[in-house]
Amino acid sequence: MTMAVTAGRTGRTAISPRAAVLAYLAVAGVVFLLMMLLGLTMRLAQAQWIDVPPNFFYVVMTMHGAGMVGIAGLSSAAVMWHFVRRHDPVSTAVFLTNLVFFLIGAVLILGAGFIGGFGAAWTFLFPLPAHSGGLWSVNAAASYLIGLIFIGVGFLLLHLDIARGILSKYHGLGAALGVKQAFGLAPAEAGPPPAVTASTMALIANILGIVVGAAVLVISLVNLYVPSFTFNTLAAKNLIYYFGHTFINVTIYMAVIAVYEILPVYSHRKWKTNWAFYLAWVLSTVFVLTVYTHHLLMDFAMPTWTLVAGQVISWLSGLPVLLVTAFGTLTVVYRSGLRWNPAAALVFLGVAGWAIGVIPAIADGTIAVNSVMHNTQWVPGHFHTYLLLGMVAMVLGFMTYLTNPQPRYGFAWLGYWLYLVGGVIFVIAFLLAGAASVPRRYAVHVAQWLPYDRIGSIGAALAIAGVLILVVRFFVGMRTAVLAEDPIG
Amino acid sequence: MSTRRLLIAACGFWLVLWLPPARSALESDMALHMALQMPLLIVLGVLLAAAARHDEPRWLASADWLGIPGIVAVVLGTSFWMLPLALDQAIADFRFDLVKFLTLPILVGMPLGLSWRRMPPLGRAFIWANFIPKLGAVGGLYLGAPTRLCAYYRIDQQELAGWTLIAVAIALGITWFIAAFIGWTPSCAQQASRHSAEGAGRQRAFGGASAA
Amino acid sequence: MTRSFPVLLALVLATGIAALSFETDGFRVVTSAGARQLSVERAPQIVPNAGLIDQDGTPFTLGAYRGRAVLVDFIYTRCPTICGVLGDDFAHVLQAIAPRQSGAPVDLLSISFDPTDGRQALRLYGERFGAKAPCWRIAAPADAQTRAALLRSFGVVVIPDGMGGFTHNDAVYVIDARGRLARILDRDAPGQLVSAALKVAAP
Repeated sequence: MTMAVTAGRTGRTAISPRAAVLAYLAVAGVVFLLMMLLGLTMRLAQAQWIDVPPNFFYVVMTMHGAGMVGIAGLSSAAVMWHFVRRHDPVSTAVFLTNLVFFLIGAVLILGAGFIGGFGAAWTFLFPLPAHSGGLWSVNAAASYLIGLIFIGVGFLLLHLDIARGILSKYHGLGAALGVKQAFGLAPAEAGPPPAVTASTMALIANILGIVVGAAVLVISLVNLYVPSFTFNTLAAKNLIYYFGHTFINVTIYMAVIAVYEILPVYSHRKWKTNWAFYLAWVLSTVFVLTVYTHHLLMDFAMPTWTLVAGQVISWLSGLPVLLVTAFGTLTVVYRSGLRWNPAAALVFLGVAGWAIGVIPAIADGTIAVNSVMHNTQWVPGHFHTYLLLGMVAMVLGFMTYLTNPQPRYGFAWLGYWLYLVGGVIFVIAFLLAGAASVPRRYAVHVAQWLPYDRIGSIGAALAIAGVLILVVRFFVGMRTAVLAEDPIG
Repeated sequence: MSTRRLLIAACGFWLVLWLPPARSALESDMALHMALQMPLLIVLGVLLAAAARHDEPRWLASADWLGIPGIVAVVLGTSFWMLPLALDQAIADFRFDLVKFLTLPILVGMPLGLSWRRMPPLGRAFIWANFIPKLGAVGGLYLGAPTRLCAYYRIDQQELAGWTLIAVAIALGITWFIAAFIGWTPSCAQQASRHSAEGAGRQRAFGGASAA
Repeated sequence: MTRSFPVLLALVLATGIAALSFETDGFRVVTSAGARQLSVERAPQIVPNAGLIDQDGTPFTLGAYRGRAVLVDFIYTRCPTICGVLGDDFAHVLQAIAPRQSGAPVDLLSISFDPTDGRQALRLYGERFGAKAPCWRIAAPADAQTRAALLRSFGVVVIPDGMGGFTHNDAVYVIDARGRLARILDRDAPGQLVSAALKVAAP
């Protein structure tokens, strides 16, 4: 791995911020590919093209889930950090500490799965880790939970440091979010840059999410070793989804900064912020912190009002930021004379994938639909739409943008189209299967479901080939990218 | 307040807490014991630290780098006195209780008061973000425990203590969040200017690509 | 950072961890009940030769059990909850050892810590569970001083439950044939109680 190592003023050697971002993205490229291969393994197993023992299927499912959520967080944090650094003083040392903690956590989690056989799904729903039915040991479950704690501590430090940096420039997180601008109390022109607003929202949500997650992780760990210490399972599920929902949801809000920063570079237009932009981010901050109950729509023991709130908020949740982003994207791009290149196309695709992925999400957030659809492949269909074709597209766009100094795009365009076509086939196979009531999380599928699984497998394989090309291209370009400046329009 | 008066006030405060009416009243209930008496003893130590600040030996000020040893003492000390076993022993034996009355102000409160000022904002925030869920988790475990954890407290007192800890955790979390949201810190402006200067210096030190 | 920083940090860490480790017996116990259980298991403890009076009004001493194992629990007869469970446990133990009644050198003893429990109350409690002296005595300490000494040596804490009754330890204490407190067991596992008692019954 190439890193720009420069001797600092104090005589210590230090890694440049740009090299640190590239290190994040290098890890992200590798982990994305490995986790996608695990995903393909599951689809191939369901398609009955390869033989995977059911026990191992659930290990693979757990590793794919935990790995993807973790790397989604890590890669979108790299996007956020890279751009927020232009506006606020943040620490490279803390940024790298997060990467180290992430890698330690990843080793613990992979060990828990592939050595210890841990397969309780990435959501580690209490008290499942402690009730393995002999499939994994207490230590394997503990290794998984401690791995998550490591990753959580790293992200906590990173977000707290960004908060510190932001607070050194703004009088409170509210000011950095643009609350005054949102309500017309201050001129929008004087508002914080989009990267700062988005980072503020992300750090508020993630710090609260991680604090809640830490509490339930500690409780789960104690329960593993002292089983007589129990905890209310419904309360635990609430805490876990508060943390899990927030963490994965925020990845898109961190990655979207790439859209705000990259498209204007190529279209030579500034991303204009207005009161609606700030209001959207303020509202989405509130929604992302309150919407998690839509994960519990099938828990009849939950108080009804929480479920109603879950439905209503999940209809609204993504919309404000999505609308201002989609609208902003169009105004930045429309008739700008933008010459399309893979980086711009990828972030543009990211906005489209996010917008389209919200539609099945809203369907699933509706109680009447949820009660018949939530345990079908509709759900992986919806979240793969906005994660694979939304969040991942933005990160791939960012990777391409950083390593893209010359317009020799042929290879990258091939990767782009393979990824897009394969990704679309893959998510449509999930959604159609969901509409046909094919259950999710089944290791073994009946004959009637195989067509969906096989089409999905082909789509997944194509998408992986595309991502492989884009990642290889990133690694090739990294050597020069580390010393370069961002392309500036 | 002068150092001398602060010292006298702290000693008086300590004596009031130690003498039987207050001591037995505050120790008669688990929630009062954990969420009132112990925090008061820690606050007492913080007051002592404020009084002793100018007399702090120089070696201590330099050895307590970024306040790390001090805050480690705080974490270990509070962990010790959160053990149900330690609560029981404090009630059963007044000598053990005296240990509590001495260690909480001197080995927890004073380090807290002295080291907190030395900690960088990131360190302080990290301590908050760890303390809040730890408090909540301990509260949750008290609620879920199948049996009594302390021989001297009834199960309903244990439950109340659990809810109290959870409530304190939530209250601290909300306060912390609101303070950060509206930008309220005791010495906000002064800190902000200091750290933006530091941040800029650090960026230069890392020799990174210049900010756009 | 000065060179004294790592020294101070190491000192703080070592002291703190040593204190925590000492208090929790090497991070094995967090409650006083657990601590007592572990220390008794490691080294059986002498209990006082206390004088008691059973449900028939017969005085006896703990020392009289020498050569036999005794399962002891602490109750009060008005107890609406846990003491009933303890009584059931002992009834099960009695059933289990009944076939070898003469052969099994194990006795049962329920000690009331409630000063208001008279002979009549003790007898009624015994009848509820089929207790008969001498193999299962329901007994009260001879005087207040003995009661305090007994509770202290067994590590039993009795506090008012706020509803006119008491909250108290609900463990079962095993005294071995040499008259020492040898084990402290959780209730609700009569089988385990029997085997533990038989194990320490041989002198």
